[in-house]
Amino acid sequence: MIKEQKPTVFVVDDDSAVRDSLRLLLKSVGLPVEVFESGQEFLDAERDDRPGCLVLDIRMPGMSGLELQVKLNERHSILPIIFITGHGDVPMAVEAMQAGAVDFIQKPFRDQDLLDRINQALEKDAGSRRMLAERNMIRKRLESLTPREREVLDLVVAGKANKVIAGDLNLSQRTVEIHRARVMEKMEAHSLAHLVRMVLEVEHPEA
Amino acid sequence: MPHRPHSARGGSAGRRARSSRELEFRALLDAAVDAIVVIDHEGTIEDFSRAAEQLFGYEAAEVVGRNVRDLMPEPYRSQHDGYMHRHLRTGERRIIGIGREVVALRKDGREFPCDLAVGQVRGSDPPRFVGFIRDITQRKHAEEELRRSESELRLAQELANLGNYVAGGDGGGDYVSPQLCRILQLHPDQQRITREDYLDRWVHPADRERFEEAFARMDSGTAPLDVEYRIVLADGSVRHLHHLAQAVFGPGGQLVKHVGTIHDITDRRRVEDEARALQERLTHFSRLSTMGEMAAGLAHEINQPLSAIATYAQACQRLIRLPEPALEDVVDALEQINAQALRAGEVIRRLRTFVKNREVRREPVDCTRLLEDLRMLADTDARLHNIRLRIDSDVGLPTVYADPIQLQQVVLNLVRNAIDAMAEVPEERREVLLSSRKASEDEVEIVVADHGTGLAPEATEHLFNPFFTTKASGTGLGLAISRSIVRAHGGRLWHTPNAECGARFHFTLPVSPAVTTGE
Repeated sequence: MIKEQKPTVFVVDDDSAVRDSLRLLLKSVGLPVEVFESGQEFLDAERDDRPGCLVLDIRMPGMSGLELQVKLNERHSILPIIFITGHGDVPMAVEAMQAGAVDFIQKPFRDQDLLDRINQALEKDAGSRRMLAERNMIRKRLESLTPREREVLDLVVAGKANKVIAGDLNLSQRTVEIHRARVMEKMEAHSLAHLVRMVLEVEHPEA
Repeated sequence: MPHRPHSARGGSAGRRARSSRELEFRALLDAAVDAIVVIDHEGTIEDFSRAAEQLFGYEAAEVVGRNVRDLMPEPYRSQHDGYMHRHLRTGERRIIGIGREVVALRKDGREFPCDLAVGQVRGSDPPRFVGFIRDITQRKHAEEELRRSESELRLAQELANLGNYVAGGDGGGDYVSPQLCRILQLHPDQQRITREDYLDRWVHPADRERFEEAFARMDSGTAPLDVEYRIVLADGSVRHLHHLAQAVFGPGGQLVKHVGTIHDITDRRRVEDEARALQERLTHFSRLSTMGEMAAGLAHEINQPLSAIATYAQACQRLIRLPEPALEDVVDALEQINAQALRAGEVIRRLRTFVKNREVRREPVDCTRLLEDLRMLADTDARLHNIRLRIDSDVGLPTVYADPIQLQQVVLNLVRNAIDAMAEVPEERREVLLSSRKASEDEVEIVVADHGTGLAPEATEHLFNPFFTTKASGTGLGLAISRSIVRAHGGRLWHTPNAECGARFHFTLPVSPAVTTGE
């Protein structure tokens, strides 16, 4: 269901003209767009973690763009952020990049530059969401294993042969083979290598 | 005066037979207020009146028979014989019948000024002379006093460059003091000037109406004259005068005369003008430096509409090229482009108005509108520092009489200080409240409140001193100039701690006497 949602460009800018012109530009290229006049309004909106990207003014009265970024990070948001900066905002832009923003663009900008950045951000978002979806699927499959199957899986991933596993778990080699086949089936693994990769991805994602 | 018997006068009177005429003469002699001394042709004293006894301190008996020289100090003493001989020889009169001021000598050796009149007794041969002597010590003293006070007055007038005059009811000058002659470059002989002369020859054409109005008020008895105006002298130089005068009316209410003083205040005026010009330059400099500090914010404020314009224009190009062009959106966007271009122009216009070096001009100012006009400039700075600017004005405030740009300068200065004071405070506290209200029947109060770090006690002491600053990039002129602007408008500027935290700066302005707006 999540995969079917069309990505949306969220724009947060306190300047109504800048906000409205961005809305119109994105509309002209057929991108769904939603605009917000403050960071708080954006946080309050029910977004259900929808796919897309965030185009965010770095300077705003009240909650600044940087402060909104911090709050989104606290919520583990994966929404890619493109910051809009003015003249002389380079130090702030650097700070934003260090906090994980994908890009920044200085006003006034060429429309194509912004659209290119938005497209890259949307691709990145789609990629992250695919990866997240895959991890969720792997986790679900892992959850479907019985405790005994899980024990067998961990030893298989650790690179142990059936004979060694049988000895460790005090089972017959035949029983281990049956568990192992069930694991491969439940995890929908094409090969031993595939199985190992899936487990590593959810349990040691940095590897 | 106690009566003394004539016997006390001694031998000389006794020597002569006493006819009734002589008794009459004696009585006259003794009753006279002036001292009378009768001498013969050699100067020997024959008679010495009672007043003479009192004046000279001699008993008549002591001096009768002595030469009158003894009653004179040098040089009169040694010259007297010569005078008498010359008169007897030539008949030439140097004193007889003329009188003169001389110095006489008392018995106790003191000298005194006196008026001496001498008469020759007719028909006596050898001739006899009668001298009338009047002590003029007091008159001399009074004259001396008068001379001194006159010369002191003259000196004072010279020093103050102040002259006085008395003018008759017809406006002609009856008396013009020497200093007033100098001020007007008037020849001391040519003292009678009519008001018309004065108006035509001296008073600056631009000030004549004011001058005449003031005189009319004085003549009608409404108010004494108190007017400042310029005069143009023969050499074309212009002087500033402060003229005070009063009309004196007779018992029938008719105008008798004017008495007045005229003070040449040109030098004072020049010093005042220079001080004012300096103050204005400083005020302008401070405005420029405020704008300099706000440059980043202003660049941002102009960049916003430019950025919106660019984006709208690019969107329009795309909207028109769509298979089905979204013309309604294009029209909306074009409208916005127009509005945003005007917005950028407005920022520049306000900026120019604010920094322009201009004449100070007071006019009725609506405070609510003034604060709204200021919002753009103040907001610029607030946005740059992620600070909210809230404006809370009472409706129907009376107008104040002020220079609007200078007022904006004061408010902007206070707002910028408030913003700077909140650089380090958390987001939820970052708000400046700018409010205006009617403080009393005749005062409007404007308050700028922040939630910043507040004022350190040691800072409050020097807060209004020029060049005192707690900021790295401040000039230290802002508050000093703000206070002098407010004072020049007849108001006050002060600060109080804000209820929760931070500071509040207040200033008041007197309500303009003209019509009030609103209720």
